[in-house]
Amino acid sequence: MNTFLVSARHEMLNTRRARTAHLLLIVFIGMVIASSVIGWVTNQTVTGIYEKVVADGLTMAPNPFTGVTPLYYTRNAVIYVLLIGSLMAIVLGVQSTLRDRKMSTADLILSRPVNSSARLIGQLAGLGAVLAAVISISLSVSWVIVSIINRAPLGWADTGRIIAFGLLSWVLLMTFALLGMLSGLRSKRETTALLVPFVIWSAVAFVLPQIGTAARPVSLLNPVPAVSSTGGYFDVVSAITGPLSVTEQFKRASSIILQDSAVTGSATPSILILLAYLAVMTVIVVATPRNRMRSGLHE
Amino acid sequence: MKNLAIATGNLSKSYGSKLALDALSLEVAAGEVFGLLGHNGAGKTTTVNVLTTLLEPTHGNAEVAGHSVTADAMAVRRAIGYLPENVQFYDSLTLMENLRFFAQLSGLSRPDQRIGDVLRILDFEGQERQRLGSFSKGMRQRVGIAQAILHSPSVLFLDEPTSGLDPEGVRTLRETIVRLNSEFGMTIFMNTHLLSEVTKTCTSIGILRGGKLVHQDTLAQTLADFPGEDSLEQIYFQLESEQVS
Repeated sequence: MNTFLVSARHEMLNTRRARTAHLLLIVFIGMVIASSVIGWVTNQTVTGIYEKVVADGLTMAPNPFTGVTPLYYTRNAVIYVLLIGSLMAIVLGVQSTLRDRKMSTADLILSRPVNSSARLIGQLAGLGAVLAAVISISLSVSWVIVSIINRAPLGWADTGRIIAFGLLSWVLLMTFALLGMLSGLRSKRETTALLVPFVIWSAVAFVLPQIGTAARPVSLLNPVPAVSSTGGYFDVVSAITGPLSVTEQFKRASSIILQDSAVTGSATPSILILLAYLAVMTVIVVATPRNRMRSGLHE
Repeated sequence: MKNLAIATGNLSKSYGSKLALDALSLEVAAGEVFGLLGHNGAGKTTTVNVLTTLLEPTHGNAEVAGHSVTADAMAVRRAIGYLPENVQFYDSLTLMENLRFFAQLSGLSRPDQRIGDVLRILDFEGQERQRLGSFSKGMRQRVGIAQAILHSPSVLFLDEPTSGLDPEGVRTLRETIVRLNSEFGMTIFMNTHLLSEVTKTCTSIGILRGGKLVHQDTLAQTLADFPGEDSLEQIYFQLESEQVS
């Protein structure tokens, strides 16, 4: 069995046994499922009140949920992927590379007939499989709940959109997992290995969009991208910070895929930016020198 | 002509401006148990790191099992086993899962049979499904030996193998080292600063001081060359003081 496959399987096994990873996985899956349940409960509550109001003759307006697309109920999943999913991916990424430096097993591994790039790609593939499984489970349950709300199984088109959203989520989470791996390889201390990618994530998710849009921080927790302010400064700055804000690009592409009426246009530019980030991060991590993989921690 | 397992010529290694190994020329014959002695910081671990291809030398050359550590590093890695100092393993995985991982990295495609054999050699039978988190320090060192010999290497490198072990653990490990050498013909290169262990285990020794090799010979010849001294410890300190003066 080659280094790539051995490393991928080993990564999956380690992640399956790690307690922190378990906790984050449970929280993430729970939140994504909760987003569908919240949508369903909202629908039931609002429709119940609406029917009572109609029965009392107090309104002739249509039910606010009439005409809402079935995928409306999954829109909050966008923000959970962005918040909890990204943090989970960072933790898994940091653990995967820091583990061998911390326990000196890197020396054992690198004294074997092992190509260091194949080892890192294998670890990345293992993480990719874990993240794919988590996203698949979350969105499968989400599909079931949305089908229950609609009292009919979702059609092929909507199912395809959920799958596309899952793939896009995977691309985003892999980018953050790579950021975690890079930090695990480069940091001198365990604490900074976790802290640095969290700071970068918060800057990308909250600071960059604010600079370009003047959005309030709380509005950045919406599943749709912040609307750019217009004017000389904002036009220039948002043109620069927009492509850098990978999280806003994810929100934009996801909203279009999930047919959120608040966002229009093509998802293609945002998807290409996300793929470019993934490719660049992969190259940076895989090009890590052997000596860096085995460097000890200053603890 | 001796069949050499390890040979270095003018081997040097610098970390920035600090010279860790200074023109080391060393020969270890196949089938020997070689002990490299020296104080902390003498360059013992750097020597092992270069010979196991974990570090590239700054100057000079080294061959292990007939392969150059720089030109043919992969061939060297296939021929050696290595146990670093204070290594830990994956505590959440079982003994079998840990060993399977290292066996597969070493290129064994169906490793379970070989792992079973190695576990029998090291008295681990019946503990395959136990997680390593429950193992003592001594047991972990033996797991370290197990992972190092899975692929039947011709040369085994051990960096301070008895470090942190209790007397029982030291004795068990010593017996294992002697057995691997006598029964399986492995050449063993061992870093240590425990002179009593060298006397009981090694067939030849080298003494490193400040990155320079100040003495190399068989243990028997070394003891014979210093008739006035009654222990390796006294010889070691005499050689050290000669170099200082």
